[in-house]
Amino acid sequence: MRYLGLIWANLGRNKLRTALTGGAIMLAVVLVCLLLSMPAGLNAILDHVANNARISVHAKGGLVYQMPYSFTRKVRQVDGVAAAVAQTWFGGAFEEAGRVTFPNFAVEPEYVGAVYPDYPIAPEQLADFQRYRDGAIAGRQIMHKYGWKIGDRITLRSTAWPVNLDLRIVGEIANERAPMLWLTREYLDQALKAAGRPGLGTVGIIWVRATDANRVNSIMRQIDEMSRNSEYETACETEKSFLSNFFGSLQGFVTIILIVTGLVALCIVFIAANTASMGVRERAGELAVLKAIGFGRRVIFGTLLAEAMALSAVAGGAGVVVAMSLTGALRVFAGWNDSLGPLGSFIITAPVIVQGVFLSLFVGMLAGVVPSYGAARKPVVQTLHEVF
Amino acid sequence: MGSADGGNGAAPLIVIRNVSRRYVRGVDDIHALENVSLSIPTGHFVAFMGPSGSGKSTLLNLVSGIDRPNDGEVLVAGQLLNDLTEDELARWRARHIGLIFQFFNLIPVLDARDNVALPLLLTHLNKAERLRRADTALRIVGLDNRADHYPRTLSGGEQQRVAIARAIVTDPDLIVADEPTGDLDARNAEAILGLLRQLKHDFGKTVVMVTHDPRALRFVDDAFHLDKGVLLEGEEAERAAAAIHLAAGGGTAAAAARLGR
Repeated sequence: MRYLGLIWANLGRNKLRTALTGGAIMLAVVLVCLLLSMPAGLNAILDHVANNARISVHAKGGLVYQMPYSFTRKVRQVDGVAAAVAQTWFGGAFEEAGRVTFPNFAVEPEYVGAVYPDYPIAPEQLADFQRYRDGAIAGRQIMHKYGWKIGDRITLRSTAWPVNLDLRIVGEIANERAPMLWLTREYLDQALKAAGRPGLGTVGIIWVRATDANRVNSIMRQIDEMSRNSEYETACETEKSFLSNFFGSLQGFVTIILIVTGLVALCIVFIAANTASMGVRERAGELAVLKAIGFGRRVIFGTLLAEAMALSAVAGGAGVVVAMSLTGALRVFAGWNDSLGPLGSFIITAPVIVQGVFLSLFVGMLAGVVPSYGAARKPVVQTLHEVF
Repeated sequence: MGSADGGNGAAPLIVIRNVSRRYVRGVDDIHALENVSLSIPTGHFVAFMGPSGSGKSTLLNLVSGIDRPNDGEVLVAGQLLNDLTEDELARWRARHIGLIFQFFNLIPVLDARDNVALPLLLTHLNKAERLRRADTALRIVGLDNRADHYPRTLSGGEQQRVAIARAIVTDPDLIVADEPTGDLDARNAEAILGLLRQLKHDFGKTVVMVTHDPRALRFVDDAFHLDKGVLLEGEEAERAAAAIHLAAGGGTAAAAARLGR
């Protein structure tokens, strides 16, 4: 503690350089804290989006393989299944966009409400969806994006089937969790037959809602057992697991970002080490005098290292505060604006704070140890000869 | 004139016996000091004088425990310095030596008071006591009204006074000054030499100084003359002293005669 004044005074020696170095360390800590919060954030997003009583049933070989549509009826008879809906990828491109810009599926209107009771869809809109063969329900995000209103007519050109469908928007999923569009299975089936195709006899995914979340595992076992040794063996998984796997590429993305962050942190170490070395070189004369008047090697080493670590600790602390403020602000904005919803899930937890502070101290230690040791180890007479 | 045995009856604070110091610089083997012996009594103000490369700064480094000899013994305040490690020497210097440098070498980011209190960081004194002692030292050198000033706002003479206050704040046995007037004008140089003499008179301090400044001879009790690493004695030393007197404009017919002019 008695050297604190000396350390503090030395940090203020070149305020601009200290501020720039501290700023670099602070930004690195902000970046690392935000990235470290990503895995937990993604998990929170999945929790937010996925329902723990919903199950995805799809072909074991992958989503590109189809199951017979008749299997949907068998699934509905499984003990503990409250409802099940067949969902088939339509791959429709909105004519103005010219490519698939949002997911769209053919579903059974009479079952979709029972499988997705947590989706805010007005009952009269669900009823219209069942009434109108060409009806469609879209997520609020898509409605906003394209300026659609209930009653609007749109055309989707399928990239998966040889048909274009004229659709009537009859309902809206009134939150940001489902940025997709549903159309009726029957409409697609009839359009295919009209185009000379055999109709829609298969299904890509069957979504199941269990009567009780505790029965999910048993239902998944029963369904997979039903299809065992058939041509369409199934692989059931929870909605959270399904979405997690579906967005599995995000994990690779996170890994890449973490590697890049590590490299950024390493660059910051080099920058801070260079700054510390410059500081030591500039003060060679003063250090020689301090040694001459009796400051031992440990004291010289300790004060120089403490200087580097103090700067890093202050910058790291500021970085943690900034990261917390950023995520806090995102949470507040997410409360105001549903489109930011998932971003509000990024929370700087206590372990992330500890890791951020530890990183900053580690940067300070790595940056300070070499120049500090170099300055301390030289005999005083050699230092004086070099300087004076 | 300095003599190898100290020249009076006071107990010697510094005893140098048959000391040699050699350096290897590149492929050259430099003999900075050769078989030097001398003693300096407690409470004396002594100058090491000689041309550049004569070995006077090397001798000062040995006396102050900054360097160690290759051969011989260096005994200061009863402590044989030869065998102390670098860290032991640092601790010893902190307790027993006050150092003054040619270029003052104050810490620019500390004010005068904190600069003076710097050596006290190595003691167990609390902050209030450290600052009190720093103020006392500044009062002794006549700068108590400049305690809050930073080095850049002080003149060269004032900075050297702060450096002297820093040297005496630990109440050391020995004050060692390396060219303390080398970077000062004549008026400030005389003032600093007077201050060093005052430390000897008023506080009984032993002061050893390296200098080229012929004015120093008017202030010191003894002067040791070195040339090419050898301590001059007898007639050689007298001739060196006479040359310095003459250079200082204080030459007399006798001094000129000694030089054979």
